[in-house]
Formats: sequence, structure tokens, C-alpha cells
Amino acid sequence: MYNLFRFFLRYYLFILFISLEFFCFYLTYRTKKYNQAAYNNFGLAVGGKVHQSYTGISDYLYLRRMSDSLVNENAALRQRLIESKFDNKVDSTQVNDSVGRYVQHFNYITARVIYNSVDQASNLIYLNRGKLQGVSRQMGVFNANGIVGQVISVTDNYAAVMSVLSKDFKVSAKLKKSEYFGNMHWDGINSTTATLEEIPKHVPVKVGDTIVTSGFSELFPRNIMIGTVKKVKTQADKNFLEITVNLSTDFGNLSYVYIVKNIRRNELQSLDSLSKKND
Amino acid sequence: MISQIPINLIRFFLLLLAQILIFSNLNFSSFINPYIFPLFILLLPFETPRWLLMLLGFFSGLALDMLIGSTGMHAAAGLLIGYLRPFLISIITPKGTEFEISPNIYAQGLTWFAVYLGVATTVYLGFYFVIEAVTFYNFFFLLLKTILSVFMSVAFMLIFLYLFSSRKKRRFE
Repeated sequence: MYNLFRFFLRYYLFILFISLEFFCFYLTYRTKKYNQAAYNNFGLAVGGKVHQSYTGISDYLYLRRMSDSLVNENAALRQRLIESKFDNKVDSTQVNDSVGRYVQHFNYITARVIYNSVDQASNLIYLNRGKLQGVSRQMGVFNANGIVGQVISVTDNYAAVMSVLSKDFKVSAKLKKSEYFGNMHWDGINSTTATLEEIPKHVPVKVGDTIVTSGFSELFPRNIMIGTVKKVKTQADKNFLEITVNLSTDFGNLSYVYIVKNIRRNELQSLDSLSKKND
Repeated sequence: MISQIPINLIRFFLLLLAQILIFSNLNFSSFINPYIFPLFILLLPFETPRWLLMLLGFFSGLALDMLIGSTGMHAAAGLLIGYLRPFLISIITPKGTEFEISPNIYAQGLTWFAVYLGVATTVYLGFYFVIEAVTFYNFFFLLLKTILSVFMSVAFMLIFLYLFSSRKKRRFE
């Protein structure tokens, strides 16, 4: 007993060091394992406030650039309005079903980026929207240029987003032309490229082809821009192509983004659990 | 000794704000992530007991973790340099040197400080990058990232020191 006591007295610093170090690893491992679900909400709330007030100041410096990009996007959206189109179809049998043909599937919540990083192994983005504004976990985030990421935790007024530039981020993407789909993930070093996998070898892919979201996950609607093909690599021993994608989103310069609210998400999830039960 | 508490508190908040608002927002490239925050632990008074160094390293790292969302990783690295700091100082300081209360760039000189910061930051960032993504990056990228980040961090730390150190000698207080 005395020896044990002496042992602790002698090595208490080392024991303290090791135990605290294990506690740190536990924290890191816990957030990694649950896809950062257990991410510290207190930190997000405090950090959100700090970053919000800082953004409030720095916004003044970029007002012109921001309003320019918003005006451009408005113009692009106006072009897609029905009023901007000329109807050249003469089809007398067409029935105008104004009752229930189109039901809302996705709603969009606008948000301002208040903190952003691009040079870590897992980059986080903070947004100034949270639970009270209707944001919850597992919602997709995109902007006018392309996809941005996925919400991983929310507090009352702030949300933390796992950026596309994260080692744990995966998104279902397809080639716009041929509709073949695969998984896209970031390769870790360059903030402008990502890798698209699981496209079969026989699919013709050319440099410059557009890559968009497939709409198979509940995160994003169909056909949201992701990027263009930069390089196609065929490997003799594999059945799939390895495609390098030029991301269309400029992650170093994010200001306003849209959060995707999937109205049918609960239904999809219950279907998913139902089919699992039946297996 | 008591007078050291407010000055270290102020330094803590100054470094924390500078780190999260400026240096974590620079986004130079994936190869260069400057961190000046370890300076807080490195500038604590020489006579700080080792357990306190470790606890301060741990909790200051945890504060940074919360604000930039890297749960537990800066705490682990801060704890490590808190633990290793007394070793490091005894190795790089010639025997019989008279000490000020805290490390001061005008008292210890640029060479001593460059070595001190260089070694400590290499340990800190090397450890941090390894736990951040050891399987994700390949070894040479990790090595290059550590070297370049250390170089930038130490440069920024020296600028910080020249800006905010007091020139006054405190030896005879």
C-alpha cells in the first residue's frame, strides 16, 4: 500500500498527463464516430456569437461584391420564370392540371456564412441560422455556384456545417449527360478538386462534362451543380473510373448559402426503416 | 507572482481572438496552417508548477477547440507542450543563466527564442496534424505541412513578441 502510494506520488505528473491525454482522444474519437453529432453545442453557441459579430464588421468591406453576386443570381433565376419563356407548343390535348400535379418537395432557408475554413482536414462552416429558424441536422447546404456541405449540428441560432472539403463528407453525384451516378468525396489537399468514384469503366466521360447531385440522398434535390470533370483515370485492375472533379463552388469565398429543407424526409426515412424491418 | 495573473489572462484572450479571427481565417493553403495560440503556454512564468502548465495547456486548448470546432485536438496538443516545456527549457538554456520571471524576447534573445518556439511549435503542430488526420494524409504531405506551418507560425509569433513584449528589465524587482 505504501509502495503504491509512493508510486503515485512519484509519477503523479505522468499519470495526470496520460489520463488527460486519453480524455482528449475520447472527445475527438466520440465526435468522429458519430459523425460529429455529439459536437459540442456550447462551443457552437459561443463561437457562433463571436464569429457573427466579427462577420458583422467585415461584411462592410465586401458589400459590393456580395450584392453583385446576388443580383446575378436573381437574373439567372428570373430567366427560369414562366413569364420569361415563350410558349411555342401547340398541343390541344394537353390538360392543365392546376390542382395537385406539383407539390412542394424542398424549401430553402437562406443563411449567412459566419465562419469558414478550407485548409484543415475537416473543414467546418458556421451559419447564422439554427433550430429556431427551422434548421436541423442532416440538411444539405448549397449556394448559387454549387453544393457546400451538410448540417451536422445546430443550436438555437447557429448551425455547424461539414463542408464538402471534409474527410468524412460523401455525396451521391451523377454525370448530367449519361445519368450514371457514383460517390464523391474530397481528396484532402486541394480545395478546388474532389474525386468521383464508382462510375463503371464503359461509361464515356470527357473532360469538361458536368457533374450534378443525383437526388438519391435526402440531402439535396436533383441537378444541383457540383462541378466539371477535370481528369479521368482508368486503372487496369479496377472496374471503375477514377474521376477528378473541379468543384464549382469557391470555398474560399462563401457569403450567402441556402439550406435545403426536405419536406418529405420523414416519409422517406420511415420507408427506409420499414424496408429494413421487412428484410 | 500575483501580478503575472492579469497579464497572462489578457495575453490569453488576445491570442485566442487573434487566432480565431485572423489566423484561422487566413486560409493560405492546405500546406500552411499558422497557429500562434501555443504562445500562451510558452510565455507563462518560468516558475509555474508543471501540473498547472499541463492544466492550463489542456483548458486553453479546449477553449480554442470549442470556438473552431476541432473537439479535443488542440487540448491534446496543448497538454503535450505543457508537459514537455520544463524539459525543453532546461535543455536549451545554458547552465547558470539568470532568469526573468517569464520568458522575454529582450532578455533571452532572438536565438534562444527561435529555438524554443521552433521546437515547441514543431511538437505542437506535428502532434495536432497527426491526430487530426493520420490516415487521411500521406506521410510526405504531413511532413511538408508541419514544416511549412511551423515556419509561418514561428514568424508570426516573433512578430507578436516584438509588438507586445516589454523592453523593461524586471530582474531586480
